[in-house]
Amino acid sequence: MTNTNFDPIILSFCCNWCSYAGADLAGISRLQYPTNVRIIRVMCSGMVHPNLVIDALTKGADGVIICGCHIGDCHYLEGNLKAQSRAEAIKLMLQDFGIEDERFRIEWISASEGPRFAQVMKDFTEEIKKIGPSPYKV
Amino acid sequence: MSVKIAEEWLACCGGCEVTILDIGEPLLDLLPKLEFVHIPVLADHKYFGQTGEKDKLEIPEADVGIISGGIRNEEHKEITTEMRNKCKTLIALGSCACFGGIPALANQFPLQELYDKVYRGSVSTDSADTPNQDIPPLLDRVYAVDEVVKVDVYLPGCPSAPQIVAQALISLLEGKPFALPERSVCDDCPVKREKKALVSIKRPLESMLDLEKEELVGSRCFMEKGFLCLGPVTKTGCYMTSGEEQPHIPRCIKGLMPCRGCFGPIRKDANPMVDMMGAISSIGLNAQEIPDRAATFYRYVGAQGRLRPIPKRN
Repeated sequence: MTNTNFDPIILSFCCNWCSYAGADLAGISRLQYPTNVRIIRVMCSGMVHPNLVIDALTKGADGVIICGCHIGDCHYLEGNLKAQSRAEAIKLMLQDFGIEDERFRIEWISASEGPRFAQVMKDFTEEIKKIGPSPYKV
Repeated sequence: MSVKIAEEWLACCGGCEVTILDIGEPLLDLLPKLEFVHIPVLADHKYFGQTGEKDKLEIPEADVGIISGGIRNEEHKEITTEMRNKCKTLIALGSCACFGGIPALANQFPLQELYDKVYRGSVSTDSADTPNQDIPPLLDRVYAVDEVVKVDVYLPGCPSAPQIVAQALISLLEGKPFALPERSVCDDCPVKREKKALVSIKRPLESMLDLEKEELVGSRCFMEKGFLCLGPVTKTGCYMTSGEEQPHIPRCIKGLMPCRGCFGPIRKDANPMVDMMGAISSIGLNAQEIPDRAATFYRYVGAQGRLRPIPKRN
């Protein structure tokens, strides 16, 4: 079901040290990526509590993506490991809430990967556009 | 002048009424000041007049109304509305009245599916039609009392504790407000937390015997020992059962059992499952191993939209 008029709302939690800098690089490199993505800067991907993600998805967002440093590169040593294990929990809960798995993603993007940031956001937006609006949207 | 009390039980087991009777000695001091004008569990009072002459359900006027049990059918709904009209202060007693309780586990399934399961699907039952004569029809799901009418005081617990009921009644008699603290069970728990799980998740009753040998104060957190404990997401208050005794230890913890979450979420709009999944994965337990997530975390709080049938994927 591809809805051409559908303009998804996508939240992206980006960690301050890698992914936000990556987004910054994408910006200063003038790379194009969809405007559907709303970036929220957090100090570490490990601080994104599952209820932020579930709240977002049940209250109007069509997709949520958490971006953190590559495993082993975390500024706080193991914050992204925490994010990873939380992501597992989030994926389980999506089933309980009847939300498609594809609406949530976790990606590792370093500060030097501006093009990758743009590419990931492009892919994710495409995918969300393909599956349509969130079941919680009236 | 005595305070008039009306008590009503809806979709519940009656344990909360026993709690009222279980107040014990403080009840003797309270009784001269109280007058129960309507309490089906103790005294026969007809809704439609003594001979059924009235055509509208009627409950006598009262200063305090106590409702235990959730709202499952049309009759419950009607009684609840009448209680609200006739009582100045309305108390929701027990987890069922406050959050739906155990009956609200049924909210995971659509009504038709429940009927099919109960009257036709189970192997031990002779297949029959869904009864519809002379009984009030079920609502689409179990409702907590505050989803239908305004509730003034919440006394959760499964069952609630005599000390809490007594305290609430005493403060109401003195004209003071009563509310439980907005803290979690963990805040009153005496065990030691190191934020790192030692083992993986265990089945609820597995090797609980080892625990009995340990001294509770200073032992490790239940969760870190692998027992799912709803302490982090549950409102405290059950420690009141220990009375004057110090330190105040939550009720189940004192009996070397992990918290089951009967006091409900700490704040009204909190979502225990999501918070618990976060807590579990951040101490390093594998959330995948939890048997029946929704029912485990929403055991007592299924109403208020928390448990619902999973929407079908197109």
